[in-house]
This record gives sequence, structure tokens and C-alpha cells, in this order.
Amino acid sequence: MAVARPGLPAATTAGETAGGIPPSAWITALVLVIMPALASDFFLVQVFGWALVLGTIALSLQFLAGYGGMVSLVQMTVAGFAGYMVAILGTSGLTQISLGWPFWLAVPVAILLAVLFGTLSGALAVRTAGIYTIMITLAIAAAFFYFTRQNETVFGGFLGFNGVRAPVFWGIDWRSPVPFYYLCLGWAAIAWGLVVWVVRAPFGLALQGIRDNPRRMAALGFDVTAHRIAAYAFAAFLAAPAGILLTWMNGQIAPGTVGIGPVIDILVIAVVGGLGRPIGPFIGALLYVLLRIFALDALVALGLSGQRFQLLIGLGFLVTVLFSPDGILGLWERARHRWSAPLNRGGR
Amino acid sequence: MARAIAERLSATGTVNALELRGVTKRFGALLALDDVTLSVRPGERRAILGSNGAGKTTLLNCITGDFPASSGTIRFFGEDVTRFPAHERIRRGLRRTYQISLLFGGLSVLDNVYLACLGVSRGRFSLLRPRRDDALVESARALVHAVHLDEVAEKKVAELAHGQQRQLEVALALAGAPRFLLFDEPAAGLSPAERADLVAILQGLPAHMGYVIIEHDMDVALRVVESVTLMHEGRIFKEGTPEEIEADPEVQELYLGHGRG
Amino acid sequence: MARAGAMATGEPGAEGGGLARRVERHPLAALLLALAIVLFLWLVLADWPEELERWLGRKRVFVSALFNGITLGGLYFLVATGFTLIFGLMRNVNLAHGSLYLFGGYLAYSTVQATGLWLPSFLVAFVLVAIVGLLLQVLVFRHMEGQELRQTLVTIGLSIVFADLMLWVWGGDFYQIPTPEWLAGPIDTPIVLDVRPNGEAVYLRYPRVRLVIFAASVVIGVLLWLAINKTRVGMLIRAGVDDREMLAASGVPIQLLFALVFAFGAGLAGMAGVVGGTFQSISPGEDTRFLLASLVVVIVGGLGSIPGAALGALLIGLAEQFGSVYLPTYAIVFSFLIMVLVLAFRPQGLLSVR
Repeated sequence: MAVARPGLPAATTAGETAGGIPPSAWITALVLVIMPALASDFFLVQVFGWALVLGTIALSLQFLAGYGGMVSLVQMTVAGFAGYMVAILGTSGLTQISLGWPFWLAVPVAILLAVLFGTLSGALAVRTAGIYTIMITLAIAAAFFYFTRQNETVFGGFLGFNGVRAPVFWGIDWRSPVPFYYLCLGWAAIAWGLVVWVVRAPFGLALQGIRDNPRRMAALGFDVTAHRIAAYAFAAFLAAPAGILLTWMNGQIAPGTVGIGPVIDILVIAVVGGLGRPIGPFIGALLYVLLRIFALDALVALGLSGQRFQLLIGLGFLVTVLFSPDGILGLWERARHRWSAPLNRGGR
Repeated sequence: MARAIAERLSATGTVNALELRGVTKRFGALLALDDVTLSVRPGERRAILGSNGAGKTTLLNCITGDFPASSGTIRFFGEDVTRFPAHERIRRGLRRTYQISLLFGGLSVLDNVYLACLGVSRGRFSLLRPRRDDALVESARALVHAVHLDEVAEKKVAELAHGQQRQLEVALALAGAPRFLLFDEPAAGLSPAERADLVAILQGLPAHMGYVIIEHDMDVALRVVESVTLMHEGRIFKEGTPEEIEADPEVQELYLGHGRG
Repeated sequence: MARAGAMATGEPGAEGGGLARRVERHPLAALLLALAIVLFLWLVLADWPEELERWLGRKRVFVSALFNGITLGGLYFLVATGFTLIFGLMRNVNLAHGSLYLFGGYLAYSTVQATGLWLPSFLVAFVLVAIVGLLLQVLVFRHMEGQELRQTLVTIGLSIVFADLMLWVWGGDFYQIPTPEWLAGPIDTPIVLDVRPNGEAVYLRYPRVRLVIFAASVVIGVLLWLAINKTRVGMLIRAGVDDREMLAASGVPIQLLFALVFAFGAGLAGMAGVVGGTFQSISPGEDTRFLLASLVVVIVGGLGSIPGAALGALLIGLAEQFGSVYLPTYAIVFSFLIMVLVLAFRPQGLLSVR
């Protein structure tokens, strides 16, 4: 299909080739770690924190789409579900609903429930294959959005929950800028590492084999359906903590967080960044966040209303899908290819 | 339990490896398989012959569960597998090759075989990466060796010659501990030398491994089997030994006469 | 590759045979269905005993939920049938379909505002939205044939852009297209809601416009069915749904056929927008709502099948209306549950084409 997908990595030679980490990766990691010394609090949380969180949610989509061939629109919903669960099980401004569990209980249970939710959604979506996935997951996401908006007793209706705070322990307020940045960076790094690891483990290899050739995989003894559902579970596990971080960042969770707009935005982020590699979604997320924050001024400067932001996002997405289906990542790789080896690759 | 009993029975020869009763397959209005009843003993090697469109490949697809039979029952070593999904049948020791290329072109030969070994192992969902001395990797290497592909083991499958891809198909079917194999035209497009190689591989299989082979090349087919089933328009119309079939005048006219182009 | 995913789960050959054969094959299901129909007719026509009213509330509530559900189903059918038609022939999951609906509604509103004419606004909406559909097929989708996922992603991008452009032009207000005088007001139906103590029967009064529009959508549905099953173009479309390679090989100007079907499907969505704008109202967000309704309808009914769209639309319309009457907080769950059940037991949809 047209949208870029990473090739199957070599299984039997994994040990030999995994050693080399390029210097650019080391530099990026270093910059990210010392970021609090470089950036203001606003940039730390509102730009980098937000981008890392959105990037992680989009990463869970990249995993499913890139390695499993399943473009799932339910990932933002899974993240939002985890956020809702933390608000319901833990503490929030809506004291008549929130159960007030301590965070060390509420957070794991919320993640567990969100994984369950993601797995069930996946089980529904994999009943049919191909282009149905996008339709069914979109329908699930929409149903959840409308449900949270209508349901007052459990989900707090239209207004949702406010006053959902990150915990304070070891004498640290984990919502203050620097610790919160490290929380976001920590989970993003773990999630990224997990994806990189899993796609070369037997489970990930099987998943990619199923993406390329489900019939053959079944004839080799693989339970295609079970593998796909397990992939949804894994992706939900990546997205759920990010959803909780997002809720802590905003201090609230409401239907708007899991609306159709945000659901599509995650797809936009993943596709624009590039579905080819796990780093793509983070690039897309950073771009999205920067646009979100600074496009307003730019639009106004151009004499347009700040509301035209969506137009910008839509056009950017369209241009990507039409002209560089493998996203910015693909664009970058092609450009590097052309400049570094102009002699032996004249034709391309 | 039931499987253990079935296995013991099969060892004594009272249970057939493959037992098809009244298997029918419809595609819309088209009757691709019409009431096929067939039994193959464990260790038996059987050729299915017939012109194009006789329903041979459809029969294999129904046996492996690539798509379900419309009606009828299929037993594998005594166990009713009619409603089993494909992977469950494979895990019970059934294997097949494909006539059409369903290989992983972007992977190396070794990785293709590794996936096949993984599919019938318990580590399918493992999150641990394989080490170089992994047992599955070892068995994959052994299989690559068995089908004489050592020299291209690290090559991408897409870069392989046609004949080598056919050999790789056979290797994928031999992964794990197969009890019965289905070969779908393994010799199609092979050079005479490669055919000889294939015949050697088939004849070298352990005696307990029975198989059904669909093959247009009579020289290959009749050299590697002990019984023959003839199909025509979705039905079975004759069974016998290779000698009987070759000598049968009706068969001569219907199939051998003009089916060899 | 193009059709590998979508319909592969369909059981080929399950559709054969007429009504009699189906009844023969599933006697229990047929009996249950017949019983359900009888019970249903009784519920609508009979004077409700007190016991029943205690259970289900007043008959008026039940019957008006029923009528609202059926007429809403008619609207859903109009939207979803274009979606399903486009998918059936071109394997294009057009997620900008809701935008076409909303665009049609806005166009009709502006037309009615400018001219005061209601019926011609249908024509305006149909033609202009059909032109948009035509342009999309000719300029965009024909260049990425067979790339299902990419096409769908493009339609997502388009829906974002369209939504913002429409917001730019028409703003964020709610609009309702005024009902023309000759359709305004209620109509007396022969359905008895209640019998007063003095023996006088109370009849259901129902908005005339909704009934007329429902009748129109039934007519459109029947005409479509006839067109697809009895005409040459319809035959080509059916052949294309079954086997595109064969159609392409037969020398039919397939690109022209694709463009026409895309235009027609889009035009239907535009017309549905007029209906929706008259029934309810149009505003930003309605595009998503009706896109989702179409999705659920075609998933339930079977993607690519027009009778499936009709059945799905009816089921979802009824589920939504009965849900909002009897279980308001969980109304959305009803239509969703139907989708889940269908996916669990018949993933290819109730009336799948194969």
C-alpha cells in the first residue's frame, strides 16, 4: 500500500546489527536530558512535554499501522479513557464521583482498564481486515466521545472532570515543570524503546509477517487474529500512561479531549511525522505543537482569523499524504540520500 | 487425551491421516468441489492429478482451512478439523506449500524459515529477541541445509531465482514436526536439474511423513507417490496405483492425452 | 489486492435462493421474525392495555419514537447509500462524505434564503455537491486507484479542510431550512393513540414534512434498486462491484462510470443535507455526526449493499430514537451495541453483497 511501512527487520541476525547507534541519536538524547537547563518552563511543559505526550500516543498508532498494517483511530480514545479512569478512581474536583484512591493504586488500575478497553476495541476491529479497521475504530472513538458527553453519573457529562492533579511524593510536586518534563520524557523514551525492541522480538516479527501476508502466516501456524489483538493491547499499554500524563498536564479531562478532532489529530501527527519508524510520531508531534502555539500569531499576521488553524492542519496533512506518503521522515531520508550519494543514484 | 488416542490408533494403522467425507465447496454459483470423499493412510504418498480447474488447489485450501468447506467433514488423524481455523490445523502437524508465491520477499531465506519454525513453536508471542544460538534459529539453519539453500541463506527472498523460491516453499512446510504434507505443484517452473533435486528431497523425507502432491509433471508425480487420485470438474473419478493410472485408457484420453502442455 | 480485505470474510454463496428457500433453511429464525412483526403491528395498531402502559409508558411516546426512528432512518439511508455506492464500486472509503452532506445543507439554506424556494434547493444542492464529487474523483482519486488506505487518508484531510472552509463561509451558527408552507404543519394519521373515556379515539398527528420526505427517500431507494438491478449502467456497476478487473477488461469506459457514480453518491449526500437541514438543523459538527451515522449504518448493513444501507439505516434510526426516549443517558450505546453485535456475529454486515 502507499503509506510507508518499515521493512521486516532481520530476526536471525538481530544480535549483530543492533549495536550501532548513530551519533545524531546520542546528541538528541543528550539535548532532551539537559533540556530543563536550556528551556523556559513554558517551553518545557507546553511545548516539549505536550509534544512528548502526543508523540507517545501517536507512537502507539505508528506501531499498529506501521508494523501491524492496522490504522487504528482509537488510540487517543484509549489514552483519554486512562485519563478518565485516573480522574474517576483518584481525586478530582468532582468529589461526588471520584473515589479518592491513592495515586499508586489509581494509576496502575487505570492503565490496566485502559489496556482492557484498547484490547476489546482491537478485538472488534480485527473481526474484519483492511480498510474496515479505520471505520470501526473511528466509530468506537466517536461512540466513546458521545457517551462521555451524555453520561453524567460516571463520566461527568459535558464538563468532565477538573482538578485532576499529579501526585506529590518524595517531596516532589510531579506537576511542577521540571519533574513533569522528565515524567513525559521518561515514558516517551520507555515507549519508544519498547517499540524498537518488540519489533525485532518474535512477537513483532510475527506481527509484521501478518501485515505482509496474513494467509501465509496462518499456514505457518500463527493465530492471525490473536496476534492482531495482542498488538492492540500492547499499543494501548503505550498510550494509556501518556493519556494520564495529558490529564495531569491539563489538570482536567473532558469529552473534548477524546473528541473526533483530537482523534484525527493523532493520525495526522503520526502520518505527517512518518509511519516508517518509531521516531516519526515525535517529529510530527513537535511540529503539531509548534504550529498549534505559533500558527495563531502567524495567521493573524497574514490577516486571517486564528481559527484557520484547522485549515492549516488539514492542508498540511493533505500535502503529506499526496506528495510524501512516508511523512517528513521519508522526505528527510530521500533528501539525505540524494545529497550524500548523487553519483550512484542518479535515477531517483 | 483424544489426540493421544488418535495418535496411538494411527500408529497401528487404523486411523487415516486424512479422511474427507462429502467435502463440497461453492463459490457463488460455481461448484468447485462436488462431494469429495478421500482417505489417505499415515505415511502414504498420493498424487492428485487433473486438468486445470479440476478443483485440486481448492481441495488443498479446504483441507488446510485457507477457506472453509461449504459442507462435508475433514478429519486429520481421526480428529474432526472441519471447523478449525488454518493455524489450528497447522499446529496439529498439517503443512502445505503454495503454488502462488506467498513468501516474505523482504526477508532473508533464513528469516523466512525462522518464521515458519516460530509459527509451530510456543514462542510465537515472545517478547524476547532470539539469540544467535537460539534453538529455533538452529532448526531453521538445519532446514535451509535440508533443501540445499545454504549458499543463499542470508539473501533476500525477492532476489532468489524461481527454483530456489520453490525449494524455500518446501522448507517452510517442513518446519516443526510435520505429520502430513500437502504440496501444490512444487515442480512448476523448475529446470530439469531442479526437478531431480526436488524428487530427491521428497524421496528423502522420513517414511512416516505422508503427503499429497498436486503435480502436472507426470515424471515427477509418478516417481514420488504410491497412489494416484484423479479429479475432474470438482469430482474424484478414479483412484489407483501409478501403474494402473498410466495404463488406463480412459485416463489416457481424458488427462494424459492433452493435459501435458 | 484491492478487495482482499473488505469482503474476504463473506461467505460466498450464502445469498442464493428466494424467500421460500430462506424460510426453509432457517425455519426458527423465520418464525421468530414473523412473530416479531405480528407483535410489532399489534403494538402500533391496538389500543394499549393498562398493564402495557405501566411497562412502556404512554403509547403516544412509543408511537412517536417509532415514527421519528423510521423517518430518521430515511434520512440516514439517503446519506449512507451514497457512501455505500461509492465504496461498492471504487473501494473508496470516503470519510469526507459527512462534509458533502453538510455542504449540501448549507447550499440549500443559502438558496432558500435567497429565493425562498424549497424544492429547487434540492436541485442546487444535488448538482453542486455532485460537481464537487466529480472533481474529487477526476482530480484526486483516479490517480491513486487501488491505494485504499491512501485514498481514505486523503478523504480525512479533505474533511478537515472542508469543515474549516464551511466554518469560514457560514460561521458557527445553527441554521434550519424553513419548511415550505404546503408541507408545514401536522397530518392526521389513522393510528389510534388512546381512547378517551367518552369513546372518542385520539389519533396520532405527525409532521407532514417528515412523512413526505420519508416517502421520498423510500422512492429514491426503490428507484436506485431498480436502476442497479434493471438497467445497463446498473448492470455495469454490479459487475464492477463483483469483479473490477473483468469490468475493466470488457472495454467499458470505467473512469467515466467511476466519475458518474462518485458524482451521484456525492449528490445524494448533498440532497440528504437539505433533508437534514429541514428535519433538524445544520451547524459545524453535523458533518462528523452524519459521517459516523453512515459508518455505523454501512457496517451494520454490509458495506457496498444498498438494501443493507436501508436495513442498517432503519435499525440505527430506531435504536437512536427509542434509546433517547427510554434510556436517554445511554442512547448512544444502543446504536453502538448493534454495531458491536453485528461485528461479533456477522462481521461482513447483515446484508453483505457477498
